[in-house]
Amino acid sequence: MKKYTIVLLLLIAGLTTNAQTATKEAVIKVTGEVTTPLTIGNAEFQQYKQTTVTRKDRDGKDHTYSGVLVSDILGKAGVTLGPELRGENLAKYLLVEASDGYQVLFALAELDKGFTDRTIILADKVDGQPLVPADGPFRIIVQDEKKPARCIKQVTAMKVMFAK
Amino acid sequence: MKRKVKDNHEIKHKQSSFPRTGKVYLVLCLLFVITGLTAYTGTEPVVPMGDYVFNYPANFGNRINVPADNPTTQQGVYLGRLLFYEPKLSATNAISCGNCHQQSKAFTDGRALSIGVNNGLATRNSMSLANLLWARKFFWDGRAASLEDQVLFPLTNPHEMGQSIQVSVQKLSNTKLYPGLFKIVYGDSTITGDRIAKAIAQFERTLISANSRYDQYLRNAYKPTGDELKGMELFNRGPDPEKGIRGANCTHCHGGPKTYLELFHNNGLDSISKDEGMAAFTGLVTDRGRFKVPTLRNIALTAPYMHDGRFKTLDEVVDHYSEHIKQSVSLSAFLQGESNEVGGHSLKLLPKEKKQLIAFLNMLTDSTFITDKRFGNPHQSTKN
Repeated sequence: MKKYTIVLLLLIAGLTTNAQTATKEAVIKVTGEVTTPLTIGNAEFQQYKQTTVTRKDRDGKDHTYSGVLVSDILGKAGVTLGPELRGENLAKYLLVEASDGYQVLFALAELDKGFTDRTIILADKVDGQPLVPADGPFRIIVQDEKKPARCIKQVTAMKVMFAK
Repeated sequence: MKRKVKDNHEIKHKQSSFPRTGKVYLVLCLLFVITGLTAYTGTEPVVPMGDYVFNYPANFGNRINVPADNPTTQQGVYLGRLLFYEPKLSATNAISCGNCHQQSKAFTDGRALSIGVNNGLATRNSMSLANLLWARKFFWDGRAASLEDQVLFPLTNPHEMGQSIQVSVQKLSNTKLYPGLFKIVYGDSTITGDRIAKAIAQFERTLISANSRYDQYLRNAYKPTGDELKGMELFNRGPDPEKGIRGANCTHCHGGPKTYLELFHNNGLDSISKDEGMAAFTGLVTDRGRFKVPTLRNIALTAPYMHDGRFKTLDEVVDHYSEHIKQSVSLSAFLQGESNEVGGHSLKLLPKEKKQLIAFLNMLTDSTFITDKRFGNPHQSTKN
């Protein structure tokens, strides 16, 4: 009986470990020149105001991406946007990193509606469906940008920094 | 600026044989003069001193990675090179870093998995050490953030060099050579694991490969053959069959003059990877079987290929990308649906195109890098 209990315990332990390594939730860390560092998972993401952006994908067709304004996330982290985006703060940029190590950057002014009407969002859905695993769960979508290179997939980190 | 150390190393001592002829007197005279001259110029080896200046082409870019607490100095590189080739850092006194990272093979060892102390096998393929000055994440799974952190793993891993840092420190402290060198580099003769790692890292950053035929082509000093040019075109282009553009899309991961971008991908080797790759520490399903995209520098010299050394030849590697990509939830997006055929699921390169691609890959061999005396074993003429 004791033997079976040990086997059972080992099995449970094994399953738990497996679950830990296989099903951890993907999150985005927001760090750098912020007043409040953030960790955004799906639950946090859904608390932001949702919006949509339409852009052509590689298939040449328009697709509707839905998600959250990047400026809303940075605003919550206390990044110097809006009236504070002047003077030396214009030398700040956002570096976005994906799980494959790919990085792209945006000047803060590119993200601020006081400077531009172009919308840059962090999307979690395309045409109403969650992004496929190779693209998601979170992807930057840059409205109207001709090349898709900055529509970075599988985002894991957003860091605000001063240009040195 | 140079400083002398008392111990003899890196100096060749050749025994002269004396011919038994009537000219022995003349020979003795000559020897006397030579000895005198040698004494005058100094037999003691000199340690170069001062900041180390990295030389590399402007098109490599300046996004280099040197930690603020380990600036590169000539004396540090000198010590690091001796330590890189120092078998005393292994449990059996028989294996140094240079065993699994041989200069003639662009600092790999030709094995699928390297053999460590007690014939133990390393878990992944030995990586080429070239242009690490620009790397920011190390190991096949990118888990180390600096060369200094990376170095300590193979030194102590029971399947690699298998010796605790404490024992290594003790062994080096008991030599005539090392305490004096540590004093020159660090200001006092204390030997620590941290200082060992820092010196080796300094040496490794100097391993710059920038004179392949491809580099020469980029600076207008080499005219490629027709096959090389065609291979280069395939290498650089993504396929677009509807526009009649054929390509192998290699630069997506291996782009730029260094043929290295710091990326990590699941490249479709298995539908369920036995090796978890990055997922072992991120815990993400999409990181399973995800590994570092290695540099293609000297790729013709660094067989076998992939994290587990499963492919023996470049033909097998190209065949993999052309026809054998395995689908899985973690397969990278750029390998899905990329094809030279309309509606195709894999690249489908023609046999001739594969040969052209490999002709280009051979352009990445840098023969000056693998014969550069500054990177070779300094102990071959040393008694320490």
